[in-house]
Amino acid sequence: MGERRKQQRKVVTRRDFLRGTAYGTLGVALGLKTVGCSAEATEKGALPVPDDKSALFAAENPTSTLVLIRDKAAVNADRWVNPKVVAAMVDTAVKTLAGEKSTDRAWAEYFRPDDTVGMKITVRVHTAQEIIDALSAGLRSVGIPRERIIVKDRDIRPHAKDFTALINATTIKAHYVTGVAAVLKNYINFDNNYLKYHPNSGVNLGSLWLRPEVKGKTRLVVVDALLPYFGRGDERNLSHRWPYKGIIVGTDPVAADAICVRLVQEMRNRYKGEEWLISPPPRSIAAADTKYKLGTSDPTKIKLIRLGSKEDILI
Amino acid sequence: MRLDELLPAGVDGWTPAGDDEVYDRETIFDYMNGAGEIYLAYDFRRMLVREYTRESGPPIVAEVYEMSSSEDAYGIFTHDTDGDPVSLGQGAFYAAGLVRFWKDRIFARVIAEKETDEAAAAVMSLGTKITEAVPGEGNEPRLVACLPSGGLLKESVRFFHKQVSLNCHYYLADSNILNLGEKTEAVLARYRVGDGKVRLLVVRYRTAEDAQAAYEQFVQSYFSDEADVPGPIHIHEVEGAEFAGARLVDRFVTLVFEAGDEETCERLIESVAQRTEKVFQWEKDANSKER
Repeated sequence: MGERRKQQRKVVTRRDFLRGTAYGTLGVALGLKTVGCSAEATEKGALPVPDDKSALFAAENPTSTLVLIRDKAAVNADRWVNPKVVAAMVDTAVKTLAGEKSTDRAWAEYFRPDDTVGMKITVRVHTAQEIIDALSAGLRSVGIPRERIIVKDRDIRPHAKDFTALINATTIKAHYVTGVAAVLKNYINFDNNYLKYHPNSGVNLGSLWLRPEVKGKTRLVVVDALLPYFGRGDERNLSHRWPYKGIIVGTDPVAADAICVRLVQEMRNRYKGEEWLISPPPRSIAAADTKYKLGTSDPTKIKLIRLGSKEDILI
Repeated sequence: MRLDELLPAGVDGWTPAGDDEVYDRETIFDYMNGAGEIYLAYDFRRMLVREYTRESGPPIVAEVYEMSSSEDAYGIFTHDTDGDPVSLGQGAFYAAGLVRFWKDRIFARVIAEKETDEAAAAVMSLGTKITEAVPGEGNEPRLVACLPSGGLLKESVRFFHKQVSLNCHYYLADSNILNLGEKTEAVLARYRVGDGKVRLLVVRYRTAEDAQAAYEQFVQSYFSDEADVPGPIHIHEVEGAEFAGARLVDRFVTLVFEAGDEETCERLIESVAQRTEKVFQWEKDANSKER
């Protein structure tokens, strides 16, 4: 009986996840207290966790670099988004990411005048129009005309074959089925049968990025972190929207999602006053790293450049 | 039941804007994308959406969901219980311009796009009119009555059937190790015990054989390092110096997680066993007669 059981596929359980022996570095990204605490777990393959947690997202020789910019004036108490402030945030973030002092040269690092750019936004937790406008302005600064900047959500697929470049312009949302819906999940509309990606907590979401009409086209990942949704229920529940007033910019979708996961987890913990673990674990992030090779999910290999307001930065 | 008759023509100056939208099990995704899976995890039948507008106020959207049973209306209501309890229907919570409530087979949400004092009042007025229009009241699931009352955090109670719902509230494994499905009933709750909180999960299966199979699968998967041979009860120390327990009694599997000690596991498990016997006694007697 024992041997037969061993030969059967081992079920990954909550215990494996909490020990850090499952789903790669996801537990580290979530800040689970139990990860890295057990010698036994280390023997079983748990990844080591730095003693100094501030070392996370602060890699000195990073595999991926992203920019987080926040401004208190980006969103007011009535949740009105300030377009001028947001436009400045987007430009500053892109310049920082590109290592350029000029906005025009920064955008030219990522886009060409002859590009046809698909901007994949989200509607249910809507990408702020102010961010969309700022991104469009940036593309036009490179010389791309309006008619070749295609902003779409659910109906993006028919246009996909025409795109030479993509911007993933998503929001952050805790998700009933996949744990978190942010950068990786944003491309779900490139497949008409999007429900097939929900089983197993969305573990195969990374495969969307390898579709021929998508693969290799994403030049920029922009995460609208102005008002992330961190709850479990209706996304329109305003009490589950956090006025974070941030924007995250990078080129690594997996690293961006790892940061989003950490933010959502911190928001949930603070809201409840105790650990309110994202459930189910967003396995898509680990798989996007190890199986689909789309980027890194390891917080010790990511550098997050933090600009602007540091108040309640959470990460 | 005509869902449109549950909604008023207007309230506090807000009037319907456009036509009602109706969705069923096939089309719910058109309204809420993949979130529809949460409703399909219950026996959801159909829903009606009506938007109300007022010149000097934010839009208000009313959603009325018809479930096949009051138990499932209660269940989907328990999916999210954040907010302040308010007096509407058979249970309701309000937060930031959103009220959620259930009554009989109906679950409803009324949402103001922006919370102003007037919009909040209109949301509650709409909710009141909806509950008044629902003719009767329904039963909570009997399984909920099996939860011990001492230390129970009532807003933590979740009633559901399927793995997708359990995963949303409390991830246990990457596969359906409890064999949850539309024929199973499950209730999940948290308890305050001393300075800590403990989780309790009780699952009722259609047959004792189904429960046995699920229990053995759970023990083999979850306690794979500790238990070689399943017995009717298991309590083990796990990660974080916590204790987890599992017990099989007839058609019921009772699980305890995040307990601070063995005694807590034993006490909760025993209490559930006593309550299930009492609540479902008639069922047990009927089974005995059949044998």
